[in-house]
Amino acid sequence: MFGEEQIVKAHGSRVDLIANLFILSFLLILSRLWYLQLYKGNFFLRHSLENQLRKETVKSPRGMVFSRDNKLLVNNIPRLDAIIIPQYFKQHSIVFKRLGKILNLSPKEIKRRYSKGWGQERFRPITIKKNLSPVEVALIETENFNLPGVSVKTFISRDYLDGEVGSHVLGYISEISKRQLPRYRKRDKINYKLGDFIGQDGIEQELDTRLRGVDGYEFMEVDALGRMKRHLEDSELFKGITNVDSLPGYNVRVTLDRDLQLVAYKALEGKEGSAVAVDVKTGEILAMVSRPAYNPTKFSEGLTAKYWNSLVNNDKRPMRNRAIQEHYSPGSTFKLFTAITALEEGMVDDKTQVMCPPTFRLGRRVYHDWKKSGFGKTDIYKSIKRSVDVYYYKIGAKLDIDVLAHYAKLFGFSSKTGIDLPREISGLIPTKEWKKKRNGKVWQQGETISCVIGQSYVLVTPLQLAMAYAAIANKGTLFKPLLIKSIFDNDGQTIKKYEPEVRTKITDVSSKTFDIIHKGLYKAVNEPHGTAYWFRGRGIEMAGKTGTSQVIGMNAKKLFTKCEKHPYKERHHGLFAAFAPANDPKIAVAVVIEHGCHGSTAAAPVARDIITKYMQKYHTEEYEKNIELGKRRAKFLWAKQKKLDALKAAKDGE
Amino acid sequence: MVNKKFLELLKKYDFSFIGISVAIFIIGIINLYSATNSSGNLRLVNIYQVQMGWFALAMGVAFVISLINSKSYFRYAYAIFGFTVFLLLLVLLLGKIGMGAQRWLILGPIRIQPSEFMKVALVLGLARWFKQNCSEGVMGIKELIIPAIFTLIPTVLIILEPDLGTGLILVLIFLVIAFYRKLSWKTIAFISLIAVISGTAMYHFGLKEYQKKRIITFLNPQADARGSGYNAIQSKIAIGSGQLFGKGFQNSSQVSLNYLPENHTDFVFSIFNEEHGFFGSVVLISLYGLLFFRFLVMAKSVNSMFEAITMIGLVSIFFWHTFVNMGMVMGILPIVGLPLPYMSYGGSSLLTFGICIGIATSISNSKNIF
Repeated sequence: MFGEEQIVKAHGSRVDLIANLFILSFLLILSRLWYLQLYKGNFFLRHSLENQLRKETVKSPRGMVFSRDNKLLVNNIPRLDAIIIPQYFKQHSIVFKRLGKILNLSPKEIKRRYSKGWGQERFRPITIKKNLSPVEVALIETENFNLPGVSVKTFISRDYLDGEVGSHVLGYISEISKRQLPRYRKRDKINYKLGDFIGQDGIEQELDTRLRGVDGYEFMEVDALGRMKRHLEDSELFKGITNVDSLPGYNVRVTLDRDLQLVAYKALEGKEGSAVAVDVKTGEILAMVSRPAYNPTKFSEGLTAKYWNSLVNNDKRPMRNRAIQEHYSPGSTFKLFTAITALEEGMVDDKTQVMCPPTFRLGRRVYHDWKKSGFGKTDIYKSIKRSVDVYYYKIGAKLDIDVLAHYAKLFGFSSKTGIDLPREISGLIPTKEWKKKRNGKVWQQGETISCVIGQSYVLVTPLQLAMAYAAIANKGTLFKPLLIKSIFDNDGQTIKKYEPEVRTKITDVSSKTFDIIHKGLYKAVNEPHGTAYWFRGRGIEMAGKTGTSQVIGMNAKKLFTKCEKHPYKERHHGLFAAFAPANDPKIAVAVVIEHGCHGSTAAAPVARDIITKYMQKYHTEEYEKNIELGKRRAKFLWAKQKKLDALKAAKDGE
Repeated sequence: MVNKKFLELLKKYDFSFIGISVAIFIIGIINLYSATNSSGNLRLVNIYQVQMGWFALAMGVAFVISLINSKSYFRYAYAIFGFTVFLLLLVLLLGKIGMGAQRWLILGPIRIQPSEFMKVALVLGLARWFKQNCSEGVMGIKELIIPAIFTLIPTVLIILEPDLGTGLILVLIFLVIAFYRKLSWKTIAFISLIAVISGTAMYHFGLKEYQKKRIITFLNPQADARGSGYNAIQSKIAIGSGQLFGKGFQNSSQVSLNYLPENHTDFVFSIFNEEHGFFGSVVLISLYGLLFFRFLVMAKSVNSMFEAITMIGLVSIFFWHTFVNMGMVMGILPIVGLPLPYMSYGGSSLLTFGICIGIATSISNSKNIF
């Protein structure tokens, strides 16, 4: 038997083995450390940095919109919202309670708002409350530690300074819809995400890519619970990652004049209709207003269901831009084009006198004049001035519809004007071929008789009408409507300038013909018995034509009962198209008032107001001179009348 | 007279164990301060002071224990073992009543964790048994049966708590001691085979869901990066990003941004690595190595089998804690909650390591003093 000491000694070799095991283990640990810290150190450092980073999109401020007179029409207003990012959201019920206290909402309500975002990606913020007060923002920021997943986010909401005025032209922005997403991604080559705002109508849609700018991003330090700690400067980020500033969108200057817009908007108060004013010499749109309208600001603030429903479930269709997305029978405003056709085709000249009884008969069909008693002997001037239907019926009886269509199309009818606005429609001028194609039937001459006075198949948009009248006013140049003057950046540097564009140089119409038409239009407004005489205005010399278009077919009896007695939906549309000043046209205006009954009473005052404002603002001297002249003339007339009265009295006295 | 004797004692006193422990603890407490005072978690701000209190207590206990004659340990080894097993039973029983996991015994203001002390008690128990049944030659499976039962009783009780990590530590301690006691290579191969088979079986039938998850996570942390793999990945990121010299004291971003949970207990080593890098780790590991070296040298130079086996057992307690903890935070071992000696926060574990040091010192002193 060995002593215990010997036995312990004998076990020494095992101690050495254990020591070796320890050394091996530590070598393993060290080699692992070497691998992690030295070999893959950079990789993990990058990870540790990325861990703390959250890439936050910095929305680019959308460009602003200015009017031609340099007034701000569309602005951006930053707004702070409380949001929850589900990915980082923890301790739901406690946070609901805490947040509720801060935002003055019941936890239940917050939960309800939060649950609206269920089903979307977990990193997408859910808005809990919009437009926070500074106190609420401060409370959320200080309580940050106890509110995992909750943060305050800046949103830029779009402010349309004049509310509904011109909303259809300016458009609105709203969140891109699921349906739009793939289409817009493809179109703009921008990787839109749900929640991005895009232009949905008007200029906002048309110039969306110009206005939107390029979103940037910045890196925020966050902790494991997603609580934002602070913004990181580029110098704190590691190689390959930098903050990227957003590029602000370009600003747009439109050709619209804010004052004219306001006047037009006001003049259309309570009506359904639209007004378009055009610069005769350039084709620039000076005003375009359609009513009823919508308030685009409400879209970018986040639309309430109530407001949305009030827009879409409205038979007055406030979302529609009536100036380009609605077409009407032009009624008598179209007679000019018939007159031009007849003059150019040699069917009549300025000396031709036509006998105009109250009715005109073709075959079995009787066509009534609007005036029950008829007009008797009528020349071309009178036909325009007093809008004599039978004069045109007689032309229509002999006129080939295709010839009329040829001349009408010269003035831009039956095709889109090409304005930079979405969803324009083209209207219609019928031809024989068109009818054949449409329903396989042969054109009837009777239909031409309806067409020559702008009824039947003839359909025009208010914008087309305004552009055509502008072409008449400048005697033969049809412009493409110009809505955008320029695009410029925040330093005022012009990015793109838009120049007037001629659509058609009308050579088929002689200047003599234009002179005749001008004279006729002048008489219609400025001479007693002219259809718009009572709405001629002061200080402006308009040349224009009223129009009244039937909405439904009416028999003679119904036709001659007072329009206002019909049910609203059956009342005639009232139209008025004009240019001014008559001797040197500068502005052309077209107004359509749906169910306004008469062109003169409903539409002419709107045009008059717009033109008056235009003259006051842009041709003040001329306007004031005209007012002065008008006063003198009135004085003269008054004196003359007085003299006559005196003479008469003297005669009576004798 | 007493004073003179005491001074005499101090002259011959072996301060190496306590000295190295204090050195590691100083690193540990600095690290703990950094880990808890930059996370913004107010609950943890003062725990470094608590830790210092516990360490002072542990070293006090170590000193007191070191003055006990090492022969007394032999005498009371079974009693200590039996008593600690009784405490484990008590914990389990109270846990049953309290429903759910229970690792603590609450004695007034103090909560003690008998499973911690079980490690030391097992070492003493095994040492006594092996001393009484010692021989020079190799050991076969037959001689292993009774010590295996010794080990399995507390192991099962601890795993039932449930605390898989500590349970496994007991088995590992047993294996090291058995290896020291000249377990034949044939038996070692046999045990390895059994271990693989029973391990597989246990994985399928014996483990709780969360324990299984830990193993899956270990094998592939990316499988559930935000869930159970989270700790493993974040820990590796913390360690790796430290690189050669680390980010510096209190500059751990993983901690300050709360990426690492449990950063003051099980994951202190990741923080240490993140802040002090590879260089810091080499220093720390060297200190551990020095400590273990001291134990092993003692194991070789003592006269009694009891003392030798106690030394081997105690060093294996330290070793397995160190190795498993480091291994798990750097992703070479599955994550089981084991503290890193003197680095991790926790009173019971500090006290246990203090007791170990005390016993080791006592044995070392016995050579010179008694």
